[in-house]
Amino acid sequence: MSTAAVELRAISRRFDAVVANDGIDLVLARGTVHAVMGENGAGKSTLMSILFGLVRPDSGEIIVDGEARSFQSPLDAIAAGLGMVHQHFRLFDSMTVAENVVFGAEPTRGGRIDRAAADARVRSLAERYGLDTDPQARVGDLSAGARQRVEILKALHRDARILILDEPTAVLTPSEVTSLFTVIRRAAEGGTTVVLVTHKIQEVLDVSTEVTVLRDGRVSGRFVTADTTSAELVRAMTGREVEVVANPGTGTLGETVLEVEGVSVVDARVERVSNVSLAVRRGEIVGIAGVSGNGQHDLVAAILGTTPVSAGRILLGGDDVTGAPVAARRSAGLAVIPEDRRGEGSAVTMSITENLSLGHHRQPPIGRPKGFGRGWMSLPAARTRASEQISSYDIRTSGEKQPVGSLSGGNAQKVVIARELAFDAPLLIAEQPTQGVDVGAIEAIHGRLLDYRASGRGILLVSHEISELLALADRVLVMFAGEIVAEFDRSQASAERIGAAMAGAAAAAGEEWTA
Amino acid sequence: MIARLTRHPAVVPIGAVVLAILIGAVVILLAGLNPIDAYAAVLQGSLDVRNLDYTFSVWGFICGMGLVAAIPLRMGEFNLGGNGQLVLGGVTAYVVASQLGLPGIIAVPFALIAAMLVSGGFAAVSAPLATRFGIPIIISTLLLSPVAVAVASYLVRFPLAEKGSGNAQTPVLPEDAHIWSLGDLRYTTVGLPLMVAVMVIFYVVDSRSAVGFELRVTGANRRFGEYAGLKPGRLAIGAMGSAGAVAGLVGAIIVLSSPYRFIDGALISPGYTFAGLAAALLAGGRPALVPVTAILFTILQVGGASMERTAEVPRQLSDVLQGVVIVILALRVVLDRRRAGAGKDS
Repeated sequence: MSTAAVELRAISRRFDAVVANDGIDLVLARGTVHAVMGENGAGKSTLMSILFGLVRPDSGEIIVDGEARSFQSPLDAIAAGLGMVHQHFRLFDSMTVAENVVFGAEPTRGGRIDRAAADARVRSLAERYGLDTDPQARVGDLSAGARQRVEILKALHRDARILILDEPTAVLTPSEVTSLFTVIRRAAEGGTTVVLVTHKIQEVLDVSTEVTVLRDGRVSGRFVTADTTSAELVRAMTGREVEVVANPGTGTLGETVLEVEGVSVVDARVERVSNVSLAVRRGEIVGIAGVSGNGQHDLVAAILGTTPVSAGRILLGGDDVTGAPVAARRSAGLAVIPEDRRGEGSAVTMSITENLSLGHHRQPPIGRPKGFGRGWMSLPAARTRASEQISSYDIRTSGEKQPVGSLSGGNAQKVVIARELAFDAPLLIAEQPTQGVDVGAIEAIHGRLLDYRASGRGILLVSHEISELLALADRVLVMFAGEIVAEFDRSQASAERIGAAMAGAAAAAGEEWTA
Repeated sequence: MIARLTRHPAVVPIGAVVLAILIGAVVILLAGLNPIDAYAAVLQGSLDVRNLDYTFSVWGFICGMGLVAAIPLRMGEFNLGGNGQLVLGGVTAYVVASQLGLPGIIAVPFALIAAMLVSGGFAAVSAPLATRFGIPIIISTLLLSPVAVAVASYLVRFPLAEKGSGNAQTPVLPEDAHIWSLGDLRYTTVGLPLMVAVMVIFYVVDSRSAVGFELRVTGANRRFGEYAGLKPGRLAIGAMGSAGAVAGLVGAIIVLSSPYRFIDGALISPGYTFAGLAAALLAGGRPALVPVTAILFTILQVGGASMERTAEVPRQLSDVLQGVVIVILALRVVLDRRRAGAGKDS
């Protein structure tokens, strides 16, 4: 039995001035769970895109089952036995699980899709790998975890022997993570090679058998998981020991900058937010915990003004802004780091300078608010300001003209954060500020948020990373099914208590209620 | 995603033009004629020194109608109502210039400004239709255009008609209301420098002004703009209003130029609107490129007539080539979307 399912030899790929992959060698042994780790911009995504035929390497060889391959498209990679589960799911929401799974490789009878066979196929695959799913369910109604299982089934249906999972746990609840790991182990025992792309060290230690760490487009470490430690992995990823930033304790609380009073949000006749009340004062970080999709995002949209409220009031700095447009709320003292940085937080085709300038373009130094020249922008001022922010936030780029869409996720996030912090707004809403961001950048972002609070401003921090909330927040509210089901003071908050409330253990959480 | 960015952005538009010319050649060959002769006739007809006066005036109109499409295109909206806006401007200019009895020095400016206001207001209606009632701008402009054309046609045939003439046309404008020619040129008037000025204004506003920046942000990602507090509804009113105003200006210049009257169909039949739309799409809406791509369609437009004379190829071939360019560019939009869908976060 040959050992290597896939071998990548000396893979190189550059984008403009950025060398994304620089002579990377990677050997994936059959039936193992191989973790590929690295900071954002380290080259993980590019390497996986090359392996899956989405991007073609400038040089290097891809050898699958001992045979050199050249993938023109993902279809070639699928034919060679590869399957990939992307971080952002590619499913048809309006179709059923079974339809999604068999799409592109449908069982047919007499030229028509054989639905019974499709259902049976999904059931048998689901059973074999322990993927709990209903073939008849509509994908649009499923949770993130269930959608991910559909993606995995889709790959398995096409007989993938090498399964690439890109940041698979980013959208999952703790219990969903556990069952995903069971699936991964079972698949590996069955001879499937699993590639786990992640930057979460605990997951790597929990589920992988081997680890390859990338840094700046090169391999910076290869480990057998059983023989390594988290400190060693962090060192390989960052080249230094990461100081864990801890909340230095509550500062002096000032006036209230945000009051949400009994707010409900109804979207598509579903109540997404139910009668939520909360307040944020200067000098505090209020955390909102919750598994994605429990109304946190709708609450943020209601505060920003991109979604109308169906009941309740929103006050910014004491002013009622309930029906006000976004611009009025922003000028009343609001900045937002949105969850969806590509869809909402940036224009990917526009340059870093332009992305950093939006919202600042009518204020000095870029714009002139009054007098002669009102309404005009100074492009040199915008560029100078952008290059200052690029160096102060350590954004890795070939220049301030580079489109944001060609930056790595972490660097694109830094652009969003730099722009929003620069408003110096009394209230900052930070929604998943470190999602898809590497260890080194997480530290920097957390430091920025703590500084922001220390300067006497308030932060509403929405996160599904319990550790992030524990590290930063002075108080943690937990949202479940659109309601705030628990509130913990810093002293009482623990991963177990927050986790239980996030999972909807309403009865248990009730006892923790400290209003 | 990134591979696309490294490729030069001019590849697709130039490829589209080359492909269109090749397809045109095949069509001519199939008709049993000589494509080289035909294309030579196109170039000769349009670039002949004796014709340059006319060619330049057409280029000005195509540039103008190019802006009519390009301005809304900056924010991702398609204005397909150029014809209606053009004709309404022509009628307005005629009414102001002929009926108000203004003295010469102010008759022309008044007629131009009135045409811009009326056409601008007419085009701007599409913005609230989109924001308030959810009717896409591409649809409302397309559907409102024939209404304006029909109203103008009625006015020219009845209340404003030249008595005793069999043609659907107005009487000739008084001498005072003729737009000023440039020297002794027959076709090129003050309208051309006006068009150039409008293009320069569009370029500067697009690249240097806050509003231009907001339009581009909205075009690149509307949700990003809304999140940052931009108001797409208001931007749409401004963009559609300016586009309509430019169309009105073009219509007014045509009516105030030789033969100094509004002739039913005369503003639409040369196809400036469609040629301008094609030029704007080929330029990707970029202000600096519209005058360049307009050259191509001017050559096709002006040269088409002489191609018909010398090479016996019907001038409709020009329309075929324009159509092919647009189809290829539309295909690019579809392919880009597909590729973006297959792309990755980093």
